[in-house]
Amino acid sequence: MATQRGASVEFREVSKRYSDQVAVDRLSFTVPAGKICVLVGPSGSGKTTSLKMVNRLVEPSEGQILIDGTNVLAEEPTTLRRRIGYVIQQVGLFPHQTIAENVATVPRLLRWSGERIDARVTELLTLVGLDPRRYAKRYPAQLSGGERQRVGVARALAAEPPVMLMDEPFGAVDPIVRDRLQQEFLQIQRSQGTTVLFVTHDIDEAIRLGDRVAVMRGGRLVQFSPPAELLAHPANEFVAQFVGSDRGLKRLALLTVGGTELETDVDPARVEPKAPRLEPSMSLRDALARLLTSESELGLVYEDGRFRGALTLRQIGHMIRSDA
Amino acid sequence: MRLLLDALRWFIDPSHYQGSDAIQTRILEHVEMSGFAVLVAIALALPIGLILGHTGRLGFVAVSVANVGRALPSLALLALALIVVLPLGLGLGFWPTVLALIPLAVPPILTNAYVAVRNVDRDVVEAARGMGLGESDILRAIELPLALPLVIAGVRTAAVNVVATATLGAIVASGGLGRYIVDGFALQEYDRLFAGALLVAALAIVVEASLAAFEKAAVSPGIRHPGSAL
Repeated sequence: MATQRGASVEFREVSKRYSDQVAVDRLSFTVPAGKICVLVGPSGSGKTTSLKMVNRLVEPSEGQILIDGTNVLAEEPTTLRRRIGYVIQQVGLFPHQTIAENVATVPRLLRWSGERIDARVTELLTLVGLDPRRYAKRYPAQLSGGERQRVGVARALAAEPPVMLMDEPFGAVDPIVRDRLQQEFLQIQRSQGTTVLFVTHDIDEAIRLGDRVAVMRGGRLVQFSPPAELLAHPANEFVAQFVGSDRGLKRLALLTVGGTELETDVDPARVEPKAPRLEPSMSLRDALARLLTSESELGLVYEDGRFRGALTLRQIGHMIRSDA
Repeated sequence: MRLLLDALRWFIDPSHYQGSDAIQTRILEHVEMSGFAVLVAIALALPIGLILGHTGRLGFVAVSVANVGRALPSLALLALALIVVLPLGLGLGFWPTVLALIPLAVPPILTNAYVAVRNVDRDVVEAARGMGLGESDILRAIELPLALPLVIAGVRTAAVNVVATATLGAIVASGGLGRYIVDGFALQEYDRLFAGALLVAALAIVVEASLAAFEKAAVSPGIRHPGSAL
């Protein structure tokens, strides 16, 4: 499967006004090809409107949106939309069509051959973890909410779009299913190299999925940065409040034990036996949880059986406060 | 009870299956007039109802205009139809009857088509538009199949009303099953009258049942029993 076939998406001074109301106000940012940008903010912040301007479900009043340098307004809306995957919260599967027919929507519009469509449907259902033999002929009403979301993602990916728009795609499923869908989605996105614009009001989801997070408020972009930076340096009081007073802890989830400076002048044979063993790939948040439950002041980090050093609570505290 | 026996005897009389007044001929005439009126009404009302439902504009106006048709008494329409048809030299019988039946069939078809398309989940329509379906694709491939049960229900109502009302055509010298009722009354042959009434009722039931069967065959299993295992 080709990687890096995503396209860059650039907003240039984009505004949307409805009569005298400003929904989006001079929005500018660039999502590099193959990255996930999460638009996050309270309701009415203009994030969904911004998303819909990319595939022209909403036309901008001013400014330009460029996909790989080409203005979206230069293209016929239907042609443009067939190159942009689209997933919405209620999924919007066509209830009168089978799962296979739903997934085949855009390839059919593009007049792919029957065999090519069948092969692609089988490939996609497998990719999203649904056995094609069991699911292809079913109807959406026969699927669970989580299964429907998977079909929604498969349908959006069908014609290998360089860009995918997702509007709260995991909002309507329970937390356990959402967690799994997010994880699978990240894997799929990495394997496909699709550029994704993702709307949510859930800051935890934004931090987990985003390579970039765009915090919006009242139609304006308040901050645009990688999630770790957002947590370390909220641009203002609004962002700080929005990311939550536990932003330090959230940030630990993004940092790994391996990326932390360890204390190397510790003899593993001499420390208390309660000290937990940690791995470099572990997040600092998980490492902290281990330390707190083990009653030990430090954890021993091993990589492939070799002692690398010790991680202490002090160092974790230092990482929370540090710039990164 | 005696009337029923008389009607049965009337049915088994072989002479009632011969000539221009034969039962099968009258049934065919009745079906022709009703079918023609319903087809014209579908051709007029269905596209308008679907398109107005899709755009969401002018729906109120369309539904109100169609409802005027529902409020007009069929007998008055028949008289009006005569005034229109006679100067055109189309004669009595078939044309005035059909012309009077069309306004009866339009309202349920138009209203149901409009409401059915309006009721299609807007998220589904937006998903379709967002994936690059054109407006006519959306109407044809998404909205119409999802609206189909209600659309067919409208046609069913129209067809049953038309079959029942086509009986009145006999007053303006049309054929059809109304002949037995009007002639039976005039000649005081009550077995004939009663047999005619039974035939009209039976035909209405057959029409209703065939359209129900058509609905079952035409509507996607995915929306026939939402939420249930198929």
